[in-house]
Order: sequence, then structure tokens, then C-alpha cells
Amino acid sequence: MMEARRSHFWRSDGRRLSGLSTLLLLLPFFALVAFVFVYPILQLLVISILEPHPTSENYARVVENPVHMRVLLRTLWTATLVTALSVVLGFPVAYYMSRAKGTVAALVAVCVILPLWSSVLVRTAAWSFLFQRNGLINSALMSLGLTSQPFKLLYTQSAVVIAMTHVLLPFMILPIYGALRSIPSDYARAAAVLGATRLRTFLEVILPLSLPGVVSGSLLVFLTAIGFFITPALLGSPQEMMISTLVSKQIREVLDWPFAAALVGVLTVFVTLLAVIFSKTLRFDRLMGNAS
Amino acid sequence: MDIASARQSASGASIRISGLEKRFGAVSAVDGVDIDIAAGEFVALLGPSGSGKTTILMSVAGFEFPTSGTIHVDSEDLTYVPSNRRNLGMVFQNYTLFPHMSILDNVAFPLKMRGLRTAERHARAEAALATVRLAGYGYRRPNELSGGQQQRVALARAIVYQPRVLLMDEPLSALDKNLREDMQLEIKRLHAELGITVIFVTHDQSEALTMADRIAVLRDGKIQQIGPARQLYERPANLFTAGFIGEMNFVDVAVQSVGDDISVALPWGETWRLPATAAVEPVAAGEAAVLAVRPERLQFGAGSSGQVIAVTLSDIVYAGAALLLIGRLPDGTEMRARIPGASQLSSLAPGDVASFAIPPEAMLLYRGERQ
Repeated sequence: MMEARRSHFWRSDGRRLSGLSTLLLLLPFFALVAFVFVYPILQLLVISILEPHPTSENYARVVENPVHMRVLLRTLWTATLVTALSVVLGFPVAYYMSRAKGTVAALVAVCVILPLWSSVLVRTAAWSFLFQRNGLINSALMSLGLTSQPFKLLYTQSAVVIAMTHVLLPFMILPIYGALRSIPSDYARAAAVLGATRLRTFLEVILPLSLPGVVSGSLLVFLTAIGFFITPALLGSPQEMMISTLVSKQIREVLDWPFAAALVGVLTVFVTLLAVIFSKTLRFDRLMGNAS
Repeated sequence: MDIASARQSASGASIRISGLEKRFGAVSAVDGVDIDIAAGEFVALLGPSGSGKTTILMSVAGFEFPTSGTIHVDSEDLTYVPSNRRNLGMVFQNYTLFPHMSILDNVAFPLKMRGLRTAERHARAEAALATVRLAGYGYRRPNELSGGQQQRVALARAIVYQPRVLLMDEPLSALDKNLREDMQLEIKRLHAELGITVIFVTHDQSEALTMADRIAVLRDGKIQQIGPARQLYERPANLFTAGFIGEMNFVDVAVQSVGDDISVALPWGETWRLPATAAVEPVAAGEAAVLAVRPERLQFGAGSSGQVIAVTLSDIVYAGAALLLIGRLPDGTEMRARIPGASQLSSLAPGDVASFAIPPEAMLLYRGERQ
């Protein structure tokens, strides 16, 4: 039976796989998602409302304690800032990449993708090295005479935002690049010959057509930023905690699982809401039509 | 503004392309092209790919700046003016309708760029859609229209701001055959109604022959011949044009003497006397030359006037309106004949030797050898 299915899979006659074999191919992935993602999340949500006894008390603690609300708001604000910075810094790079040819294009692509191959930890450590009191940035500023005292850079929210933007930038650049690449070059020519200046061509034609890429890049960056752990933990100030650090603290130091679970619950609600709002209001698939 | 007054106020501009050259590195895409186009004229640029026809159009549109030479529209030098300030209409091969805009907004786009208010530009866009017989389609999206409809929208968008020149870059090559013929008529009709000057790039010779007032045949960045369809077809100026436009039979000959008439030696030993007018290019005694005859000018049977050839038939193809006979001359040169209404020839079979007469006025003589 298994042997037959295998040989069927390898047949090169171009026939479509049967429903069952497709299911078998997809099953490992979805099983993994179910067991290591859906199940633990649900378990946490259950803990958040059932322990120590059926209660809304855990959520009340999140909402009522201004310190915790501040952590949540700071997390959302940081993620927003990182997303906005990524769009501003990433769009020109994506635009340039989509226009570049040959060696230049390959070089830019390598610059964008290469950081993805090193671990987040390494990149964050590199930033902490730069941000140190006697690090490269401070010594450069001081030797240029721009400041006499070293700035406090490490363990600040700015350091977190800068490093997170750096880490997440490829996730913004690549979707925008994809969207820009799919715009035929004749569109810009058509707009120009119809009387549009370069700026109008960009604003009226190129930008709207690249928005699906901007939106998916933003979602990717924003949602990843909300749950970011290593960078805020290494570069951020303990007084300006982000939610993932708080959750980890509750689980590993305070051992308050129900409260940590409630924090995760609040985060999950936010993320889900955002995803739903984006997919409902911005119907880019319909806007673009299926032909293009 | 209603469409009637739009038609009256719009008229074509004259275009003068002189000494146009465009090099990409060591490659000359356009190599010294001069074309004078009269106001309201319909000119086709015809040539195989790589002949430079598209580069010429891109230079007129302003997407390429030439290496040297000038482009004037109505005595205004546009050579280095950016596209968006040339006020030319252009239709592209792949429609290039903006997919995120409605049809109406697409057609109104050039008016928006010219600062017209919404109400007026929508009214004028509606009128332009009506000219291409797409009234009422304004609120659809480009992807809800067929290829032919999209190209008509692109046409409406290119004329809505009443440009005096319309550039078309193989606008029909993405359409299937029937639609293409409809669109050819549509474009001809618009050209007649608007009086606009048209430069039409195509690699399809029948399209060029049926649509254009004059056709410029290009090869390797140079103009081979420019003239009306009849002239191009009946008296091609050189061997390239003779072979490129329509079907042509070529026979290598040797020129023996040139006087009141020209005598040439044929490869199988015969000597023919041709009228002096047969020489399209000047030929001299002792030189090689090529004799060219259109297949439909061959007359079946030896009875008529003119030179007679014997062809050993290899293929007899029934092609509807005409019978296509393919065979070889005594020296092996291939010869084709198209005989209209030739049902009396149904007894012919491959291997038969058929005689054809070539009328003197059908023979053209070029310098050089067959390619």
C-alpha cells in the first residue's frame, strides 16, 4: 500500500496527486502546528481562566495594574515604531533592488538576505558592542568632538528600536521587492507618456500597486516585533520592559503561570484582531484582480 | 466638451526625424534614420526584431534619448524633452491599463495629470470611451474586460487629451486574428475621424500594408525603403525588401550587356532580353544580378507573351482562392507560382513539368546574388 503510493508520487506523468496523498504530504506540517503551537496556546488560555480556580481575576490583574498596561502599550508602540521605520528604510532599498540589474542586483540582494543567515543573538550582541559606553558609536562621536560625555545608548528603548528594525528589515524589504518586481515596467512608461511627472507616476501608479507588499511586510514585522524577546532582553532597560520579557519573568522567576497565561491571552487577542482588521478592510486581492 | 468639437479641434502634427542614431555600447540599434511624416499621415515602421523600429518609436516617445540626430514635431525640437512634456498619445503592446483604477479613471488619468477637475475629466473620458464604442464600461476594472476591449480602452486613454501624434507599439500582436482585424478597422476609422498623425510599429507586413499610408522597412537600424504599400510591393527598392514583403522568386543571373534592353544569362544556359525598366538597381555587363518575380505574376502555359520557363513540380497545394505550385527550374532553383481559379489544373501531379510565362513587366532585376 505504502509502496504503491510512493511510486505514484514519483511518477512523472504530470498527473495530479490524489486527495489522500496530498493530505499525507501536508499532514506532518499541520500536525506540528497543532501540537507545538495551537495546543500550547489553548492550554495557556485555559490556564489563564481556570487557575487557580475559574476566574477572570488574572485578566483583571493585567488590565487594572497600570504597570502591566504600560508594558502592553509600550510593546505595541515599539512594534509600531519598528514597523514605521522599516517601511521608511526598507521601501527605497526594495525599490532600488527591483530596478537594479546583474551584479548590482545580486550584491544588494546578498546585503539584504545575508543578515538572515546569522542568528538574532549574534546580531543583537553586535549592537550591544556598538552601543557600549566605550563602544564604536560613542568613541566616534567623542573623537569628532560632537560630545564630551559618552551617551547612554545601551539598555535604552532607542537601542531596542534600532536593533529590532535592523533585525526585521529584511522581512519588510522582501515582500515590497516582490510587489514592485511584479509591476511591468511599461506602466511607468505609460504614465509618463500620459503626462505624469516622476513623482506623480510613483504616487499614482507605483506606490498603489506596491501596497500589497507594504501591507504584508508591515504585518510580518509588526507581529514579529510584538513577540520579540532576545533583543529587548539584551539591549532594553529593565525599567522599560516589553511584554515578552514580562511573560518570561512571570514564568521563570515568579512562577505565576496563570498570570503569564493571561498576558499571552491579551497579546493573542490583539494580534488576532489586527490580522482580521487587515484582511477585512484591505481587500487587495480584489483590488488587484486575479488577472494581474 | 462634446466629442464632435473634439474631433474638429484635434488634428495631426508633422514629424521630422533626422539623422537619428542610437548606440547601445558597440551595437547600433538605429543607424542614421531620416523620416519625414506629414501631418495626419499614417506611417508604419516594419521590420524583423532587432531592426531598430521599436528604438525609433521609443526615441519619439522620449523613453530613449538618441545618441545623435533630432526629432521635431511641428518644428518643435523634442529630441531631449521628457516624455511627460511631449503631449503624445501612445498605445502599448500589453494594454498597460492601471489595474488598481476603474476604466473611467484610467481614461481620465492623462486629464488628471493635466489638472482638469473631476467632473470635466470624467465627462471627457466618457466621451472618449464612446468613440471606441465602450460607453458604459467606465465603472469596470481592467481585468473584467477582454483583451480587445482593454486595447480599445488604451486607445481611448491615448486620444482623450487630443494629442496630435499617436504612437503604437505593436498594439495588436497580443490579440487573436479576428480581433486583430476588427481593431485594424477601428484604428483606421479613428485615424480618419481624428486626423491624428500615427506612427505604428509592427512586424506583421500584412498589417502594415493594409493600414499605413506609407511604410518604412527597416533592417539593422537602417531604412531599406519607405513608400506606399503599392510601391513597396510592386517595385521593392532592394533585395531585402523584395524578400521581406510578400512572396518572391529569385533567380541568379549574369548580366551580359546593358543598352536599350538588358540581356542576362540564366543558369541553365538561356539568354533573356529584359526591358531596361526591369533594373531596379543599376546593373553593369559582366556582373552578377538577381531576377525577381512574384509567384502570382507567373502565367500557366507557354502561350502568352514573355519569357517561358519549365518547372518540374514537387508540390501542388490547394490554397483556397489560388493554387500554389512549387517546383524547380532546370538548374534546381526553387520556383513558386500562384494560379487563381485554377480548377482546370487539377490533373497536375508532382513530377510533371509545367510551363509558365513571365510577362516582361513582372521581372525585376537587382544587383548581387541571392541570399
